[in-house]
Amino acid sequence: MKKFSLALAATTTLLAANSYADESASTLSAVKDRGYVNCVIGNSFPGFYSLNKAGEWQGMDIDMCRGVASAVFGDASKVTFLPVQWAQSFTSIKSGQGDILSKGMTWTLSRDTQQGLDFLDTYFYDGQGFMVRKDLGVKSVKELKGATVCVLTGTSSELNIADYSRANDLDIKTVVFDDSSVRNTAFFNNNCDALTNDKSGLAAQRSAAPNPSDYVILPETISKEALSFAVKQNDSEWANVVKWTFAAMVAAEEFGVNSQNVEQMRADSQSPVVRRLLGVEGDLHVGLGLPQDWAYQVIKNVGNYGEVYERNVGVNSVLGLDRDGTLNALWTDGGMMYAKSFR
Amino acid sequence: MDDLNVKNPPALKQFIPTPPRPPRQSKSGIFGTIRQRCFNSIGNSVLTLCVVAVLFYLVKHVLDWAVFNAVFIADNRRQCMDISPDGACWAGVISWFNGLIYGRFPVDEQWRVNVGVLLGLVWLLPLMSKRIPLRNVILLSWIGLYPFVGAYLFLGGRFGAELGWIHGVMTCLALAFLTIIYVNWILSALGKKGLNELFVPLVSRFVERRIHLLSFVAVWLLIALVMALVLNQVSLEPVAIERWGGLFLTFIIASFAITMAIPIGVVLALGRRSKLPVIHWLSMTVIELVRSVPLITVLFMAVTLLPIFLPADVEFNKLAQVLVAVCIFAGAYMAENIRGGLQAIPKGQYEAAATLGLGYLHTMALIILPQALRMMIPNIMTSFISLLKDTTLVSIIGLFDIMLMARNIANDKDWVGMHTEPLVMISVLFFLFCYSMSQYSLTLEKRLKVDR
Repeated sequence: MKKFSLALAATTTLLAANSYADESASTLSAVKDRGYVNCVIGNSFPGFYSLNKAGEWQGMDIDMCRGVASAVFGDASKVTFLPVQWAQSFTSIKSGQGDILSKGMTWTLSRDTQQGLDFLDTYFYDGQGFMVRKDLGVKSVKELKGATVCVLTGTSSELNIADYSRANDLDIKTVVFDDSSVRNTAFFNNNCDALTNDKSGLAAQRSAAPNPSDYVILPETISKEALSFAVKQNDSEWANVVKWTFAAMVAAEEFGVNSQNVEQMRADSQSPVVRRLLGVEGDLHVGLGLPQDWAYQVIKNVGNYGEVYERNVGVNSVLGLDRDGTLNALWTDGGMMYAKSFR
Repeated sequence: MDDLNVKNPPALKQFIPTPPRPPRQSKSGIFGTIRQRCFNSIGNSVLTLCVVAVLFYLVKHVLDWAVFNAVFIADNRRQCMDISPDGACWAGVISWFNGLIYGRFPVDEQWRVNVGVLLGLVWLLPLMSKRIPLRNVILLSWIGLYPFVGAYLFLGGRFGAELGWIHGVMTCLALAFLTIIYVNWILSALGKKGLNELFVPLVSRFVERRIHLLSFVAVWLLIALVMALVLNQVSLEPVAIERWGGLFLTFIIASFAITMAIPIGVVLALGRRSKLPVIHWLSMTVIELVRSVPLITVLFMAVTLLPIFLPADVEFNKLAQVLVAVCIFAGAYMAENIRGGLQAIPKGQYEAAATLGLGYLHTMALIILPQALRMMIPNIMTSFISLLKDTTLVSIIGLFDIMLMARNIANDKDWVGMHTEPLVMISVLFFLFCYSMSQYSLTLEKRLKVDR
């Protein structure tokens, strides 16, 4: 019996030591050893992460992860995408299965503090909105008094709409569904007056309507959904890599560098900020532990933020979201996309 | 006797047959039959008319949607809707068809899946012919050797490098075995001696016993060597397991589970009937534990809980975890099927085997199990069919089987919101497979005369 308890104690210590070692190990060196980045995404969401028919992932979150892979390896293909269920999102990062969480996760206080994650940057500012049939003649959410609204159960949308209805005395009746396709069908069959979801999602659903021009998305945004990256808590080396990869994409747009002209900019540009960004001069890469041309590789392989936006969710994409005047515009255009200084 | 005669009424004494009923009047012609069967009373006529009306309504709507108003050629769902808003948009399913079948397997490499599946079927083909001897050996070789060939084709890489040399050796042995089966088949059709007899004269000079076996091994190794030399030149593009998907993945999981279910089930069933307490209770615990938990929970535990328990550097791939989970699950159910068969075997069979001096293993392998399994064919087949359908649950834990691929169509930017058509397509495919499995089970029952 004594032997047994000794062995047990030894095993426990070993396991504890093992897990301790894991937590202190830096993600960046683990990624470099492994040879690819593990990027945690969700099962499918048009514009952000979805499969095309050739079985390749595409979307905004996908491009962000490809950007990080380009920064570390100079190769956008050195990334594996792990589609997980909602419930596994946090554990997959905590257990070290995934390096980056990039699945349109809204940055909230409780997630930031209770899930063992560090949220880094918001790459898409979204918010909950409403879609109604055009022939209702409704111009504002305030006019939806006593209306029935189709909503997914268990989501923050359901809570937000209850808050909003109470605050504005709207007496909105929710019709709840637990499957988005059933909810959409119900709305298009006139089983409820309005459909509520994040605005990017509304745009996707509108584009799937039998006749999109019959529907309008109301101007109000009733919640803050800041879709952000997250990484494991207390690993600032790796957090820096992800943070500055995104910053490089935003800064490149601000400086007018894109995937088409990056080659020529690197060769000819006289602007000191562009030269520092593309690694022609300065040694900004040293602090990050990345190759000298990391930002150049990101822009060349993936593009700047504007290109990524237009390709996946912009006006000519399936979501058709106009960027002008939204929070997702550059700070120079009155938006919130603001890269910190490359110095 | 006289007393009896007096007591009984005389009518009973003689047998008066009731006159035979006239044969049923068959109105010749199909209309006669219909009138007789469907319109033989007012109530029945009304019922018939109602049923016909409902059927007509249903069939018309289904056909309108699926055929007459359907769109077969379009670039995206919007075009489909512009052409015909209330018909099915098969164009999307057609454009995603390869995705549904091969999942995320790279397009240029999809021929390898075809070749691999075809090889597997070709390997099993001799089982259909009654003329071929040692069919059990062929089946066992399929179970033991084919997975190596399949894995090499599906995973790729330089031969013997990425997957290790042991895997390479097994692949060569497997291909050599397949060659021998087919050459022997052809030779026996021509009335010649089998390939394995080739070295008999040579071998018989050196050894006296097991000449045929040794000759077979010699031929086998020789062909394997040739295979190795040929395959050494081959280099296939590596494909990660994460890229397996679609119907292909469904088949891999289902066939793995179906093949492993019987051996696991036999072991567990025999264990549960064992008189040794440890084995008995262990088997019973496994069976009852696994059977009382839904498959989806077993899958979730295999995928989410294992990585938390295991140290971080032990990395299992998801497919392996799922395969183990599904096999144990299928095995537990199969064990109860087989136990049912075992219980139906009369005690006399055991006693007869004991009288012949057979031990436990021989009794089971030669007398009891063949009868028990044969008796349980309908149940076993039912289990297999439900297993094939259950594999769609793996989509929930993020394996890209046919179900998840279908759900992804609705999120593809060209086909946003297309849910119904892919599901209909999958239902049709699954019906085809499950129905042919049940038909196969019926022919098997007839061939083995289950009801004798």
